[in-house]
Amino acid sequence: MTTTGTASLDRYRKRWSWEKATFGTHCLNCLATCPYRVFSADGKVLFEEPAAVFGQVEDGVPDMNPMSCQKGSAWSVQLTAPDRLLHPLRRVGERGSGEWEEISWDEALGEAADAIVEAIDFEGPESVVFEETVEGGLLTQAPYLRFAGLIGAVTLDANGLINDFPAGHHITFGKFSCASSVDDTFHTELVLIWHSNPSYTSIPYAHYITEARYHGSRVVCIAPDYSPSSLMADTYVPIKASTDAAFALSMCQVILDEGLANTDFLRSQTDFPLLVIESTRRFLRASDVVSGGKEDQFYWWDEAASTLAEAPRGTLDPEDVRPAMSGKFSATLVDGTTVDVVPVAELLRERLQEYTPERASEICGVNPEVIRELAREASRKRTKILEGFNTPKYYHGDLMERAMCLFLAVTGNWGRPGTGIQGLALAGLDGYMLFGMKQKRGVAETIRVMEGVEGAIAALGNQDPEASDEMVGYELLQRGVVSGTASPPAFFHFYHCGYKDTWNRAEWSDPTMKRSFEDYVNDAVRRGWWGGLVKPGPSTDPQVLFIVATNPIRRQRGGSDTLLQNLWPKLEKVIVVDTRMSATALQADIVLPAAMQYERINLQYAITHSFRVGFSDEAVKPQGEARTEWQIFRALSEKVQERAAEQGVNEYLDGRRQPRRLDNLASAFTLNGAYESEEAVVDEWLRDSIEAGTLPEDGTLQSLREKGTTRFSGLGMFAPGLSLAANVEPNKTVTAFQWHVEDFVPYPTLTHRAQFLIDHPWFQEADEDLPRHKDTPKMGGDYPLLLTSGHSRWTVHAVSMGNPTLSGTHRGEPLAILSAEDARSRGIADGDLIEVRNDRGSYAIRAKVAPRVRPGQVIVYNGWEPHMFSEWKGPNEVEPGMVKWLHLVSRYGHLRYLPFGWQPVPADRAVFVEVAKL
Amino acid sequence: MGTITASKRQLAWVFDLNKCIGCQTCSVACKMLWTQDEGTEHQWWMTVNTQPGQGTPKGWETMGGGYKDGKQTPGKLPTPEEFGGGWDYNYQEVLRGGKGRDVHLEKTAGSKTWGMNWDEDEGAGEFPNSYYFYLPRLCNHCTQPGCVEACPNDALYKDPENGLVLRNEDLCKGAQMCARACPYKKIYFNPARKVSQQCIGCFPRIEQGVAPACVRQCPGRAAWIGFLDDAHGPVAKLVNQWKVALPLHPEFETKPNVYYIPPLSPAPLNADGSWNENGDRIPASYLESLFGQPVHGAVDTLKTEMAKRRSGQPSELMDLLVMYKWEEALGHLRRDPAEIVWS
Ligand code: SF4
Ligand code: SF4
Ligand code: SF4
Repeated sequence: MTTTGTASLDRYRKRWSWEKATFGTHCLNCLATCPYRVFSADGKVLFEEPAAVFGQVEDGVPDMNPMSCQKGSAWSVQLTAPDRLLHPLRRVGERGSGEWEEISWDEALGEAADAIVEAIDFEGPESVVFEETVEGGLLTQAPYLRFAGLIGAVTLDANGLINDFPAGHHITFGKFSCASSVDDTFHTELVLIWHSNPSYTSIPYAHYITEARYHGSRVVCIAPDYSPSSLMADTYVPIKASTDAAFALSMCQVILDEGLANTDFLRSQTDFPLLVIESTRRFLRASDVVSGGKEDQFYWWDEAASTLAEAPRGTLDPEDVRPAMSGKFSATLVDGTTVDVVPVAELLRERLQEYTPERASEICGVNPEVIRELAREASRKRTKILEGFNTPKYYHGDLMERAMCLFLAVTGNWGRPGTGIQGLALAGLDGYMLFGMKQKRGVAETIRVMEGVEGAIAALGNQDPEASDEMVGYELLQRGVVSGTASPPAFFHFYHCGYKDTWNRAEWSDPTMKRSFEDYVNDAVRRGWWGGLVKPGPSTDPQVLFIVATNPIRRQRGGSDTLLQNLWPKLEKVIVVDTRMSATALQADIVLPAAMQYERINLQYAITHSFRVGFSDEAVKPQGEARTEWQIFRALSEKVQERAAEQGVNEYLDGRRQPRRLDNLASAFTLNGAYESEEAVVDEWLRDSIEAGTLPEDGTLQSLREKGTTRFSGLGMFAPGLSLAANVEPNKTVTAFQWHVEDFVPYPTLTHRAQFLIDHPWFQEADEDLPRHKDTPKMGGDYPLLLTSGHSRWTVHAVSMGNPTLSGTHRGEPLAILSAEDARSRGIADGDLIEVRNDRGSYAIRAKVAPRVRPGQVIVYNGWEPHMFSEWKGPNEVEPGMVKWLHLVSRYGHLRYLPFGWQPVPADRAVFVEVAKL
Repeated sequence: MGTITASKRQLAWVFDLNKCIGCQTCSVACKMLWTQDEGTEHQWWMTVNTQPGQGTPKGWETMGGGYKDGKQTPGKLPTPEEFGGGWDYNYQEVLRGGKGRDVHLEKTAGSKTWGMNWDEDEGAGEFPNSYYFYLPRLCNHCTQPGCVEACPNDALYKDPENGLVLRNEDLCKGAQMCARACPYKKIYFNPARKVSQQCIGCFPRIEQGVAPACVRQCPGRAAWIGFLDDAHGPVAKLVNQWKVALPLHPEFETKPNVYYIPPLSPAPLNADGSWNENGDRIPASYLESLFGQPVHGAVDTLKTEMAKRRSGQPSELMDLLVMYKWEEALGHLRRDPAEIVWS
């Protein structure tokens, strides 16, 4: 093709040229990690564009190209955005005054090191607290985790901070990793967009929804507002916010009542057939029936033989046995008494009577016929729920999730292509898991470590031959937890950050609580449920807070002042490492500038969405004096060692009274120089992942530099990967939970089954032993509007809030979106400044009026920084951040802490507010 | 006045409004490449707006321009305020100014009342039967481009090989007659250089066999590019064979070359909340006001083929819209830009 060559055209031609094209991605916590091409010249990034390097995986399923979004396509703008950090800074004025002086790296690290050494000497290493992050990629996270591990500091569990933990999935499955690869949605016949907004939050792969629809599937969007994702649907179900459990349970009621349930699925996969003592609603256990019997051996009723029989623990396959799904039987206990026993299915059937479509409709506002039609359709079709991470942020999100799982169970809808729940699942990057265990670099050492792990797995397996590899893997992780750094942050917030009073407020809590929140905490701690995990302990004052690539002052439920007024005064030093001046950096004493993606190499944590490794190369050198976290923590290790020697703090005891040393910190960090550079680290992770079989041969650093990405080849040997329970085939989409359904591999729960009855006394007391609906507590007070939230289209959390190009794609300022009716009745016009308030707090924000919003609902998408609001009072001012007390339960089968897993998490969605024109 | 010389072939865009999720990746992709310099801050050659709405520039649909019965009709020159945007903020003051909470981030430049995507996700109707959809817009590279004809300096022309409407910026004297004449209001003014500017059809990419950025970067896989006379290409099939892709506001008579597959949207709800599977959420009259009478046939075809596919029958149209292989979207412009080595 030719186009007339004039000078005018040549200017545009020149603009579209470059010296170098490298691969890059953004390592954001958006889960997508799209491979991009980064075009640069003269050491400057010019622009980027999706690399579109994915081949078709499965015949007849659309490929994943191009995988992109507007944030990714404007990432390079942020390298030089006005909020970018370029030099180490020291606070000059008061904390939060925004008055800084530039200092040298040496000075900054020296000051940080002094604070750490003093804290260790004065209060012990657990007074040095890190907030874990999921932003920034593994090379942002690994350095501080390694450093914290070496000095014995505390790292606050990321999932307890960000709350992407779907507790209801964990309660049901013993894990929450039920996400298939995103292309699996193309196999779905009934797509339920439910509690999520993929057209905002899953931009790179939302096309699988529209394409599944063209392929013949039906798409239904269930949301309180006529959400932007509803546009992709065939039908929209306008549900009252936070009543999803009632809606789901009602569909279950219809399915059971009309005899549409997938009984084989329920028999093999769930606890439906397990027997419960009717009078106590406790599972019948071997310990009840035979003397010395196991606590975790359960029973069912063999219909043919008309006897009680042990439900197999090692397989889900009932083989020739047909366990009863209804009826009442009697069992003789070890003391000779007889009791009535019923299968869990009976209890559920009774529970579901409370949710006939007519009764449920009164709660959730959905027409009863719609409930019936959808229930019938799901019982006939491969159905998938696209769920995201909204439910975990609701106080009773666990109940919603359990009800949704029940709905999938009765329709037999997981473990097969096109079914299940699209949330999050980790893939195996085993090299990363092995990293901390290695004493030397190289493959020989990898093999040694892997043999050790395999030996430990075998030994644990021998103790319980019926446990699956996945369960043994969890057991292994469990043993490492107490000696690790991670701590569920709820306890930190309770003891050190002033949440006690808030969480004790009965009027914001569930009315069925019999005692105060504090009582439950004390009880749980006294019973040792969280033994060794409450760090720093109530009597250890935190001294140093280290925050790398995360932003608690924006995110903190309960308002930023909660931390600033309660925690900050205790802290000798607040140190922030970030690429941009975040709300948290604004409150720091020392701010250290980090290199951004495109200025460094990085790998993203491995998940199943694209089922590919996310790699980002260094296109240009870091701006200003920015450094990578590996460089920062390597230098800090040296500095701490140096200052410790000067102050004579070479030896000390850690939180477990184990001796630690600081005089070898620097060489321990780099493993005697083996990991001087992050290239060496990435190279090691990749080669070890190939060795462990989770990456194919072309997963080397060299190859990623040439090809951008590669698809995982296996799930590896560790529990996080294994929890996906899926076959990995080169030419098939990945289907979560396949092993459970196809191969009858048990679930990692107390009963080894997808478990709907939790016979823990606290759950019984709350009447939540079975799924049910409960109204959202009146969090924030008795106000007429329900504030929901969710992630915006415009930024991933706050990361792109300062990107001037992206600001131009929306109103460029914080918004509260009101329904036309609520705006009218309050005399509020679009663009007015309004106050959002409740008993917790208030803030000022501009109103936007949209007819898509349900009357009674207010939407404020999150991501706005507090300093974008007057007096720096942002949306978290009205979110009390209540924690559901039941999640303090632990040491009950699968309800026990694992990093990024089961723990108490704060709620922030569905708080009650009023709005008024200012 | 400029003269329109017909091109040998015509490149055309198709956007599927059922696949477009309003993500603005196309807008951003375009901006990153072409409007980064001084004088272009406010320019968005590619825009995506929520319909019904006022869009960009505000109220463009009623600003006139184009032709009526073959004669040019007068058009209004949109004001900078109607384009809006162009924001700057007091970052320095807030982040580094030492003033603490006495100041917060605020716009220090640009419009306070409008921007490229100001009425995002508003739409019309009454909950729960509200309705809206996204409309990505770029210069239509019209076959009867009012802008070309209106230019007193002969700066605009249709590229003879591919039909793109291009400007010789060295001839442009900033008269902005083009911007008045364009009924789609897709022409911006560069105050720094005193020239008008609009979408260049990514011609530097097209010359290299690479698809335009707005198409190649679209994550919704909602966009296609190709020659209209390439009968085997998806663009021609969707426009000419299936007649499901329609020009926007054909009554403007500029014969635009950007085509849209009309939005279906979910069925509306009856007053009792039950589904009204046969009703229209988006009023048919509204769609007609955008795409003319043929929209009804296009919607019917889409619904018929969808129903066929649902009942297990094959449908070539559905296969086209699914886009099994992403490269189909790129027509003959399939080259990976990273392959290019500039000497
Ligand atoms: S990039 Fe594609 S999906 Fe996104 S707004 Fe543009 S046309 Fe729509
Ligand atoms: S859309 Fe407007 S600017 Fe583009 S060719 Fe048509 S008349 Fe000219
Ligand atoms: S073709 Fe190129 S210049 Fe035109 S709107 Fe698309 S990206 Fe922008």
